[in-house]
Amino acid sequence: MTNAIVVKQLYKTYEHKPWLGTKTQKEVLQGIDLTLPRGKVLGLVGESGCGKSTLCKVILGIEPATSGTVLINGQNTSGLSVRQWRVMRRQMQVVFQDPYASLDPRFSVRKLLSEPLDIHGLYAHKQDREEYLRELLRAVQLDAAFLDRYPHEFSGGQRQRIAIARALALNPQILIADEPVSALDVSVQAQILNLLKEIQRQRNLSILFVTHDFAVARFLCDDIAVMQNGQIVEYTTAETLFEHPQAAYTKKLLAAVPSVEGR
Amino acid sequence: MSEPILQVQDLRLGFATDSGSVPVLHGLSYTLEKGKVLAVVGESGSGKTVHALSLLKLLPPNARIEGGKIIYQGKNLLTMKESSLRHIRGKKIAMIFQDPGSSLNPVLTIGEQLCETLHAHQKISKTASRKRAVELLTQVGITDAEKRLNDYPFQFSGGMCQRVMIAMALALSPDILIADEPTTALDVTIQAQILTLIKNLQKQNGMSVIFITHNLAVAAQIADEVLVLYAGQCMEQAPAAQLFSRPLHPYTQGLLGSLASVRQKTDKLSVIAGNPPRPGDKTEGCPFAARCPKAFEKCYKACPPLYEQAGRSTRCYLQEGK
Ligand SMILES: Nc1ncnc2c1ncn2[C@@H]1O[C@H](COP(=O)(O)OP(=O)(O)OP(=O)(O)O)[C@@H](O)[C@H]1O
Ligand SMILES: Nc1ncnc2c1ncn2[C@@H]1O[C@H](COP(=O)(O)OP(=O)(O)OP(=O)(O)O)[C@@H](O)[C@H]1O
Ligand SMILES: [Mg+2]
Ligand SMILES: [Mg+2]
Repeated sequence: MTNAIVVKQLYKTYEHKPWLGTKTQKEVLQGIDLTLPRGKVLGLVGESGCGKSTLCKVILGIEPATSGTVLINGQNTSGLSVRQWRVMRRQMQVVFQDPYASLDPRFSVRKLLSEPLDIHGLYAHKQDREEYLRELLRAVQLDAAFLDRYPHEFSGGQRQRIAIARALALNPQILIADEPVSALDVSVQAQILNLLKEIQRQRNLSILFVTHDFAVARFLCDDIAVMQNGQIVEYTTAETLFEHPQAAYTKKLLAAVPSVEGR
Repeated sequence: MSEPILQVQDLRLGFATDSGSVPVLHGLSYTLEKGKVLAVVGESGSGKTVHALSLLKLLPPNARIEGGKIIYQGKNLLTMKESSLRHIRGKKIAMIFQDPGSSLNPVLTIGEQLCETLHAHQKISKTASRKRAVELLTQVGITDAEKRLNDYPFQFSGGMCQRVMIAMALALSPDILIADEPTTALDVTIQAQILTLIKNLQKQNGMSVIFITHNLAVAAQIADEVLVLYAGQCMEQAPAAQLFSRPLHPYTQGLLGSLASVRQKTDKLSVIAGNPPRPGDKTEGCPFAARCPKAFEKCYKACPPLYEQAGRSTRCYLQEGK
């Protein structure tokens, strides 16, 4: 069985060179090793700014790695041509943190959802397309009437559901989800989490799930990696992490989790 | 003694859209007490952000205020001149916007933006404002603040941008802080730190806070009072301790029931069946009736009023005569 994603000794350094003054370097990822087995959910938790989104971007090929390897379905992503990336993208979709920035405000929902299908020439027949779009919206529990509306007319949660529908449009094998539910209110969060779990099982989807919500991680993830300052400080099964956390940092995070009961 | 600092009275608001006017807030009323934290929780699309924007008249152009008053220091903000409002916005009532990414100017450094805020409302020297900017960034947990002042927003992570927004809102020590989902992009330790910071400012400066969140655990942590908004109406308002230990409205009960827990793994989360009514949908009865496990005949006929009892109010016929 091949793994969906394998990350080996990944380093990423951002360089900032002002016109005047000296070049500064920021080592954002410092030797990351991770494996997302096929059909599993790997949670990535850690404090703000520790490099979670950067890791996602490197895996997605949006940012180049400084060194190290990323294997997607066994294939090394370094040196892929634009065309090879396009094929890869079809297998690997992403839902970002910010539902505001990720949807182009000039496009109707129909256009937003159609775009990936157009790029790959899928559901080209008008009626098939219409049916599929409705099915996608149904999958994220949105009314079909939303198809002809624009992102600015939606609340944050509604937008995130559209972003998820868009990510599912190409029926990917791998989903990278960077805080996909943190902008959603609890009842929708529960629906989306159930939905993700259901879709994950049905489609045997592999998910890299970035979150800072431990309750959410516990619900969804098989394995969890805890990240601090660009390094993985604890990496184990969800079960073990919650029952027997080892790293001091993990313990500190778990202790800071707010809860309704713990007032 | 409690003293009201902001009163929202029967606020009604709608949006002009291609398909006519769509009502979003249906007569929202509440009082913010001085030095208290009021959490506004509720489903996505229930009108939390729109309500907050209306407090400062920062609404999108197609929004229409159809009625109501917002009283601050004896004056109705809704009828106040734009020039007078400008003195209140930012300085007296500051807001942290839900959308940190697009609220920061991408072509100015973080330092420039913070200092600009400081200069806009007070006479302060360049060195002093820079010093204050470093202080503010440090307060919101950004390490190496001095250096990071020269960074542009794209060089900050999502959570860091959000913290910059928080720093900017706190820069002028406002009377009232309106915080729209201020900690959504933050990890738990920073979140705890921000909540403590807001709590401290509340205690030290007597700052009052309207804290908008969909995170009930966060609301439980910070709020003195909680208002549960649903489809543009207040469903339940109560002191936080009571609301979380003994929710009265079936909607609040449903919300609390759908929370994932860190303490144990659940296979499936319980959800509130159905969807909230869409703005513009005509409902005769209680807006929650269609999803309510306890609804009975009357609930579909007319919308219940808010029933008041022992310092809390609940919009539910089950509370009638209690
Ligand atoms: N384009 C960039 N140039 C320079 N530095 C960057 C850039 N993008 C991110 N960084 C820096 O890299 C670090 C990690 O950022 P990243 O967005 O990966 O964090 P994160 O773990 O996703 O945080 P959050 O939980 O707040 O989203 C931060 O210190 C950030 O300032
Ligand atoms: N410019 C607009 N034009 C038309 N309708 C709008 C506009 N802005 C918001 N709405 C509608 O107003 C309602 C309330 O939106 P609002 O952004 O206040 O929700 P919210 O409670 O803040 O949700 P979230 O938790 O997702 O942020 C939503 O149904 C939304 O679709
Ligand atoms: Mg991030
Ligand atoms: Mg909002």
